[in-house]
Amino acid sequence: MHKRKLLAVATALVLVVVGLSLVERPVLRERTGYPQLVSVQDLQLDPNWCPPTEQTSPEDSNLFAAFGETSVHAGWQASADTPIITRPPIRTIRDKDPIYSAVAVDTRFDEVILMDNNNWGLRVFNRTDNTPAKAPSTEPKRIIAGPETDIQFNNGLYIDPKNGDIYSVETDTGDKVVVFPRDAKGNMKPARILKTPHRGFALAADEEKDELFVGVQYPPEVAVYRKGASGDDKPLRSLQGESTRLSDVHGVALDTKNRLLYVANWGHVSDYRMPGTGRFEDPSISVYPLGADGDVSPIRTIKGPKTQMDWPAQMTIDTDTGDLYVANDMGHSVLVFKGTDQGDVTPTRVIKGNRTGLANPSGVFVDKKNRELWVSNFGNSSAVVYPLNADGNAAPIRTIRSAPANKVSLKFGKVEALAYDEGRDQIWVPN
Amino acid sequence: MTHPQIAAFAREAKENEPPVRTLEGQKTLLSRTMHGFSYDRIHDEIVVNSPLTQAILTFKGSANGEEPPIRVIQGPKTRILGMGYAALSTVTADPEHNEIFLPIGSGGYRGAGTGGPEGVIVFDRMANGDVAPKRILTGPDTQIRSSTPQVAIDPVHNLLVVKSNGLMIFDRAAEGNAKPLRVIRGPKTGGFGGGQIAVYAEKGLILTNSQDGWAMWGIYDDGDVAPRWRIPVKQITGGGQNVGIAVIPKHKEIMIASSLQNRVLTFYFPEMFE
Repeated sequence: MHKRKLLAVATALVLVVVGLSLVERPVLRERTGYPQLVSVQDLQLDPNWCPPTEQTSPEDSNLFAAFGETSVHAGWQASADTPIITRPPIRTIRDKDPIYSAVAVDTRFDEVILMDNNNWGLRVFNRTDNTPAKAPSTEPKRIIAGPETDIQFNNGLYIDPKNGDIYSVETDTGDKVVVFPRDAKGNMKPARILKTPHRGFALAADEEKDELFVGVQYPPEVAVYRKGASGDDKPLRSLQGESTRLSDVHGVALDTKNRLLYVANWGHVSDYRMPGTGRFEDPSISVYPLGADGDVSPIRTIKGPKTQMDWPAQMTIDTDTGDLYVANDMGHSVLVFKGTDQGDVTPTRVIKGNRTGLANPSGVFVDKKNRELWVSNFGNSSAVVYPLNADGNAAPIRTIRSAPANKVSLKFGKVEALAYDEGRDQIWVPN
Repeated sequence: MTHPQIAAFAREAKENEPPVRTLEGQKTLLSRTMHGFSYDRIHDEIVVNSPLTQAILTFKGSANGEEPPIRVIQGPKTRILGMGYAALSTVTADPEHNEIFLPIGSGGYRGAGTGGPEGVIVFDRMANGDVAPKRILTGPDTQIRSSTPQVAIDPVHNLLVVKSNGLMIFDRAAEGNAKPLRVIRGPKTGGFGGGQIAVYAEKGLILTNSQDGWAMWGIYDDGDVAPRWRIPVKQITGGGQNVGIAVIPKHKEIMIASSLQNRVLTFYFPEMFE
């Protein structure tokens, strides 16, 4: 009897081994021409998701009581047999073109990288590309996009001048910086992921100190990491607190020559734990020592009506001249301040006007090697290039367009709510 | 988010068709995280939250460009807490009763949160500046427990619907530690996702995000009840976080904001209106 049991167990083991050996390995899977299950991954859930509770039936489970006093709806059932409506939408409002939130140049390889906030990707062009006037658009050399990339509503962009690594920070629920190698392409995983505070918006790096600066919208903060940080690595230091006067941070620029940190603020202030602390201030640029840590007051602040700031976005500084360039979103302009400016000052230069091609500029980059200024436009799916000394209503020397020249972007950026105006037959859509 | 505008589109706008008007710019006082707002058809006003500044902004319905709000509710008397990570993300107008409903949550998503109460603060529609709420609904008996509750008003049946850990249906004027009249909650519901909530009062329907699509319950539903209809938006379009809603009875349509796809989808849905 005991031998029979042993024989049965041995036979079963042999069958299992033989069976497993026949199971198809993923690497050996042949193309069938039909859909196949290739992987199973966790769903990315809405962070506000409220899972079903464990509570079961109400005390009164009488069908008619549940039906209600005046309910008149057909199709209702007290079971899971709910009618499912699977008709496709009859209309879609969307922007089919990229909406560019940031720009950076890899001067070693003569490439320009544009951050597409609409389709969640990075588009790489030749630095000298120039879309002909009659051409609908210029095709990028490479696109980094897809679910594996972990790129979502990204805004901050930084290119490592030494090796071309591409850094990008996500501004909503991603809470991360993703880093790709220079030649990354397609739907590929980042080489590194660094977890960062919620609402990261701006990126800059101090190559001398090997530090990465992440500007965070709210609660406002500039978190400084080792440049090679990844995973759950904590910041080396953090600039935050009431004394900093940081508010709704949108831009960060570093003057490594003079060891200064510049931060663009939108003036939306509150301590979320304290009722009544909310207030509106004018937009500003606050200046700190580059090594500022904790609740440090700014050395000086640029602020006031003469500055022309109107939703100031990303910034960059030319450390040779001390010129601070500000993408001035709603001013449809680029403002140039002296790095030593303070208070309510007029910019030393303003690039603005109908010849500039500027439409809600959100990103700006100084290419010192080629003496060029790059600007990405949130409002018309393009990037424009000027000589570094451009001023006034200057026409760009080159333009990279990803849509026809008359493009008016929808400027969508995470549409989460709707309100219908019946009188005007219009739908309101906030970002 | 990157550019926190509110854009008005023709209802029948197509792909790549730009908005007819856009509220945007420093003077508008708008900021990110407008996850629920209202158009007040009676007074032709737009009511929207300003989470980063603990404020509620009201604009003229005809507002365009960099136009400032006509009223701002903000200050210590308002008792409005800000957003830690997710609270104070929605606001709802009740034009019939001249009130503004502000759901308040713990804001505890990925952080310590506000530490404040969870419930609903109600202001007079004409409130402006540092004014106290008319009433507050909060307390253990309300059963409102959420980092980001949302509300909708049914002016016909005089109800306040709060989406929290379930759909709580209150008398519209409920205050203090009031109990809900009914609670829709349980496995048969399929659960409730984040985002807006709407009531189509003429038919007594509640519309809310569920299972990354939209589902509808009746205002007299109670307990563990399956929805009357379900539109599995993610299954249909592939896009997630389909969290915004507008009901358009005249054309038997509902419009849905698909945030992860940056799209507004219009579904023809006659069943709901017949």
